[in-house]
Amino acid sequence: MTDESPLQAGNLDSLNERAKELRCLYQIEEIVERFDIPIADAFLKICTAVSPGFQFPESCFSSVVYEQDSYTPENLEPTPWFLSSDIVIQKDTVGRISVYYTEEFPTLDEGPFLREERRLLDSIAKRIGNHLFYRSLLDLKPADGAAGKGNEPSEDWRGPVNLIRHTDKRLFVRMSRKILNQLYWMGSPEAQELLDEEFGDIKGSLGEVNQAGSRVARKDSVLLSERPFEIASEYFSSREIIELVQRWAQESKAGFFVKLSHDQRTTLPELADGIRRFRHAFTDGSEIPLSILNGLRVSLVRRMLTEQLEFIKIAKEHVDVEDFQALIEHTIVPGNGQGRLGGKAVGLFIATKILAKHGDKNALIKNVKTPKTWYLASDGVSAFMWHNNLEDVMEQKYKPIEQVRQEYPHIVQLFKSSEFPASLVQGLTIALDDFGDTPLIVRSSSLLEDRLGTAFSGKYKSLFLANVGTREERLSELMNAIAEVYASTFSPDPIEYRKIRGLIDFKEEMAVLIQTVVGQRVGKYFFPAFAGVAFSNNEFRWSPRIERTDGLLRMVPGLGTRAVDRVGDDYPILVVPGKKELRANTSIDEVVAYSPRMIDVLNLETKKFETHEIRELLIEIDGQYPAVERVFSIREDEILRKPSRLLLDLEKDELVATFGALFRETTFVEEVGELLDVLASTLETPVDIEFAHDGLDLYLLQCRPQSFLREESPAAIPKDISPSRILFSADRFVSNGWLPEITHIVYVDPETYAKLPSREELLQVGRAVGTVNKLLPKRQFILMGPGRWGSRGDIKLGVNVTYSDISNTSMLIEIAKKTGSYVPDLSFGTHFFQDLVESAIRYLPLYPDDPGIHFNEPFFRNAKNLLPSVAPAFAHLQNVVKVIDVQSETNGKILSVLLNADLDEALGVLTDPSSDDDAPQQRQQVESAPEPPQPDLYWRWRLQMAERIAEEMDPALFGVRAFYVLGSTKNASAGPESDIDLVIHVEASPEKNKALELWLDGWSRCLAEINYLRTGYRQEHLLDVRLVTDDDIAKHTGIAGKIGAETDPAREIPLGRKSS
Amino acid sequence: MGAQGSFNPFEMARVQFDKVADLLDLDSGTRELLRSPLREYHFSIPVRMSDGNTKVFQGFRIQHNDARGPCKGGIRFHPQETVDTVRALSMWMTWKTAVVDIPLGGAKGGVICDPHSLTPQEQEAICRGYVDQIAKNIGPAIDIPAPDIMTNAQHMIWMLDEYEKILGSRFPGMITGKPVGLGGSLGRTQATGYGLVYTIREALRQLDIRPAGTRASVQGFGNVAQYAIELLERIGGKVVCVSCWDQQDSASYSFRKADGVVLDELRSITDRFGGIEKDKAKELGYEVLSGAAWLEQDVDILIPAALENQITGENVAKISTQVKVIAEGANGPTTPEADKVIHERGIFLVPDFLANAGGVTCSYFEQVQCNMNYFWEMDEVLGKLDLKMTSAFIAVSDLARKKKLYMRDAAYIIAIDRVAMACHQRGWV
Repeated sequence: MTDESPLQAGNLDSLNERAKELRCLYQIEEIVERFDIPIADAFLKICTAVSPGFQFPESCFSSVVYEQDSYTPENLEPTPWFLSSDIVIQKDTVGRISVYYTEEFPTLDEGPFLREERRLLDSIAKRIGNHLFYRSLLDLKPADGAAGKGNEPSEDWRGPVNLIRHTDKRLFVRMSRKILNQLYWMGSPEAQELLDEEFGDIKGSLGEVNQAGSRVARKDSVLLSERPFEIASEYFSSREIIELVQRWAQESKAGFFVKLSHDQRTTLPELADGIRRFRHAFTDGSEIPLSILNGLRVSLVRRMLTEQLEFIKIAKEHVDVEDFQALIEHTIVPGNGQGRLGGKAVGLFIATKILAKHGDKNALIKNVKTPKTWYLASDGVSAFMWHNNLEDVMEQKYKPIEQVRQEYPHIVQLFKSSEFPASLVQGLTIALDDFGDTPLIVRSSSLLEDRLGTAFSGKYKSLFLANVGTREERLSELMNAIAEVYASTFSPDPIEYRKIRGLIDFKEEMAVLIQTVVGQRVGKYFFPAFAGVAFSNNEFRWSPRIERTDGLLRMVPGLGTRAVDRVGDDYPILVVPGKKELRANTSIDEVVAYSPRMIDVLNLETKKFETHEIRELLIEIDGQYPAVERVFSIREDEILRKPSRLLLDLEKDELVATFGALFRETTFVEEVGELLDVLASTLETPVDIEFAHDGLDLYLLQCRPQSFLREESPAAIPKDISPSRILFSADRFVSNGWLPEITHIVYVDPETYAKLPSREELLQVGRAVGTVNKLLPKRQFILMGPGRWGSRGDIKLGVNVTYSDISNTSMLIEIAKKTGSYVPDLSFGTHFFQDLVESAIRYLPLYPDDPGIHFNEPFFRNAKNLLPSVAPAFAHLQNVVKVIDVQSETNGKILSVLLNADLDEALGVLTDPSSDDDAPQQRQQVESAPEPPQPDLYWRWRLQMAERIAEEMDPALFGVRAFYVLGSTKNASAGPESDIDLVIHVEASPEKNKALELWLDGWSRCLAEINYLRTGYRQEHLLDVRLVTDDDIAKHTGIAGKIGAETDPAREIPLGRKSS
Repeated sequence: MGAQGSFNPFEMARVQFDKVADLLDLDSGTRELLRSPLREYHFSIPVRMSDGNTKVFQGFRIQHNDARGPCKGGIRFHPQETVDTVRALSMWMTWKTAVVDIPLGGAKGGVICDPHSLTPQEQEAICRGYVDQIAKNIGPAIDIPAPDIMTNAQHMIWMLDEYEKILGSRFPGMITGKPVGLGGSLGRTQATGYGLVYTIREALRQLDIRPAGTRASVQGFGNVAQYAIELLERIGGKVVCVSCWDQQDSASYSFRKADGVVLDELRSITDRFGGIEKDKAKELGYEVLSGAAWLEQDVDILIPAALENQITGENVAKISTQVKVIAEGANGPTTPEADKVIHERGIFLVPDFLANAGGVTCSYFEQVQCNMNYFWEMDEVLGKLDLKMTSAFIAVSDLARKKKLYMRDAAYIIAIDRVAMACHQRGWV
């Protein structure tokens, strides 16, 4: 089956020919898999099926000759233009198959026939041969039912045994030995004698302990005789002997396959052929020994799916050998393809098998489907690059990241303009025919992706294809998309990610999944009713009644892209499978404000992936949305109600995406919950799945271990930490995470807050927090305060803030401090819960009065308060709101918050900024939790650039007196997106100021471009420059106050000596 | 509750009452009666939770005064409700119904619970349990609840249904805030905004200014602000500036158009949180100014209709000399310091509990319609609302003019006097 002469790429005629051949082969396959029809009928069917596989089917017929009988449809006479192939059973020629043309055609490779046609006929003949051999074995089988149990005269063991002796000597020898062994164990003296005869007297040679037994020449002649069976006939009935012979014959059939599947040189097509033969060997349902079967499964799993032991263990229990055949039949490989399927494909494949196994007895998941999928094996990308001489691109990953980023667009173009090897084109053509013209998604499935512990999610591309137009157009667009997915292996993001995780030297290969997009066509659009992701573990719980293992679903109307990613300006619907009635948003206003507004769809006319406003789309498609009454609710006054398709008035009704009726009236949430449970318990790890629903059926699109992104993996909680280093601890409602570098704490003192005398002052605390939120370094501070942050009710019970007042914090902590005998309830961030989720802000409740809990109140009480200097307008609240600079309070230490949901423990601990000693296990799980990109690179580079600017600047020309940096560049906290804050002390000269601003503008744009190349963050400007004059400094107005300030002062950079 | 000297809303409400009581020279008995609620009901509501356990919720209903008619006030669901907050709010309801002169008293109620941690079925059980406990002490002629924080029409329907089951017949007037078609009144959404404009119109009349050609600046773009803008335009005024909160930028902005903002245009560019999208506004030709700018416009009318404490001692000086009227659409938008300045400058102020009483008036209409089981057309509701608001306004402004009182003080005086009078007439004090 090895394809040694790939066809000319793009030659669709010859592709059509190959497709014809394959169709023919498949038909033959179907016929030879049937043993229930008389042999004559089988031959005639084969004859009919063969002709269409040839170049001129109208002028073509074929015939089979077997044991002197000839089988030809309609008794056609042979012609001089024919092609013949012998039918061989176990080396004996038993017949032949011939194809005749009824008229003369130009001479080609072999008469009027093509080389490929010769191969086709040979392979058909081979299949007929196999078929006949199996038939002969089957004929040995005792008749069912009526046969009874006694020895029947017709059942003489001699017939079958002799057949084997004459056709397959090696098999016969093996069988003889087996039956002899059997008899020997049963204590048959005759068998003993025979064995002695075979090996001589072996007893004496086994006596010495320290010496190898002498080697004895075997006498096969003993085994080749009928004698072992003669002896056996005295111990077994004829029927029993026949059964034994059959079983061994079949076992021996597995032998070739064991060899094949273990041999790494076997190509995938050979393997497919092997599986097919293997299946034929066991079509009668007889049992293969479990050991052989398991060995086979494991070698197939390793071969195609994964080398990971824990995964192999699970896979071998759920995947049968036949499953691989179906898999290989839908796998496209390059000529000598060996390749694997990559993480995404494997996860889905295994999940499908798990569901198939559990589906029978589990009504909830019985009807879960998976979309039709074709796989492009991982070595396809190498074949593609080799075919186009792109090997040098392989080294791309070792280039500096700036260069990788700069060159990436060219690589994409290069790949897109390259050709695919013929073998891939052929495979894709077949796949495309199989799919028809339904929209497709091309997903990356790399070897690194989805490995346990490395979540590459979203790092590589997934592309939607409308898949409309002529066959040629569709093929070309499919190849274009695959080329782009291939190119994404060399995009800067995954390369940087791999560098960070020490995976850069891994030979990354990219398999590709081609799947039908789940959905319906409505007007010119194509989309599912809804789609989303679901997690076994819920890391964001909005109520103490929700447990971590209750799971979480994020879903949106239309394509699931908006639920998979955090889109920033829109919200998915959240629901907890274990507690579907407990919703994050309860009031009508909340439900409406946090409902999805936009929808992703495929436009089949423009062939584009598009985002629309749901409201507009509904009007455009005249409400013909799949399952509209389940996806949307109508808001009417203060009620949300289910729409009726009949009465829907799109002009008047306010439709809100709530999934109200879906949750209430169907078992959808339960189905997804069960799906998660079954997959997680079988795979022995929490999972993360993607799904889509077309309004009728639920489809599983992806399944992998729940992301072990660093920020979501459980942090190790050290036990031997000195209490003096602990600022707080918690042991209730803890989620996973690790906030390594907290430099500031904003602490609202629960006691002094409660004592504030006026409502106005209470409100001002919220404003103070909002102000500080804008001034502190983003995501490097935490907020701690009493009761319910953002409470809209009684202000005394929690600081009155909106989400925007806390948007830059990395964590929100609510302190439930006992007053009298009363412990207040906490809010769990409900008031802006979805905002917290979408911006990955952590939430933690603290119960300082619980036994065993640390809460270092003196630290918070006694620390120096920066509030008066940071936000002087709120200085009067300094007893209530404390802004603490952790480093200056603790001699340079920073706060590290370790969160571990598995243990339900959290710890806020002081550490040295550079040391990692509080995360010892983080290092052990290097794969799952790597070092973060070194943040110091960002600020250091920024500081260097600032120094450079100062150096290059001509003070006289621009009227510059002094040059300062401040903010994140000064505080060494800059991230990849940070700008460089500069304050420049200048003369009050509008002309010089203008010239300076112009000069700096150039710098700003250049630096922004360089920063983009380094980090991938696109900004127009990188500098944030403010000019101050003597006057400003004297008055300490605005930013000028930072010069020479007591806290967080601007840092002066020496000016260069350049002068014009 | 709470430590000594800390903020207590009920104490604040009492201080305010005492001030007016002094002005009215109320006798000690009347003072004593009005300083505290007439009746308080505290009760337990056992609820079978979805996990099979039973949880007991604390509920209460506080009826401050019903001398002028059945009590009226909302029911709040809040996890940390305090009795003092509810007491203060019930008192405030008594003054509010009195100032618009509708024959109702004041009440408030609540349940200590967090709807975010409750399933809809559990919330329904709380609503029904609430009514089971208090059914004898509420009703169309006793005390009529309404939606409040974290309760909505659905909760009202559950409560009504439970009440009617207990009583064995239909009493739609037992509760308000129901959807139209199930005992709700038309005009509810417009009521507060329109009511606000009726008082503005009357204020202009007092000042002898024709509404046509007047210019206004509005803070907020919620329900109240939108309907106020709508009606203001219809009576010939022009809103030239609107400010609102931008969730994304965590800042508010003012949107100015010298020849008048176009309401539908702005409505079409609001984001999910009700804010106006500033980029789209710019495209439509609006000037985007700072959030504070709404206050500084050269207009005739200022309408703070967003949050409390917006006009303060610090920014009150920025109010243009051209401003003639300030109508408080929001609750408590003006701080006492600012109040003083506004009073001194002689700007005509329509105080919050008069200016935004359109809502409670419409609730009253809902109840009236329910009691006779005959529902009015929109025009009729709005016509009656106009009449009610106008007469309430005239009563207050007449008093203010005659006695040279600040409008806010006049409103309180009239309200408290009416309640005190009813108590006297009934012979309670």
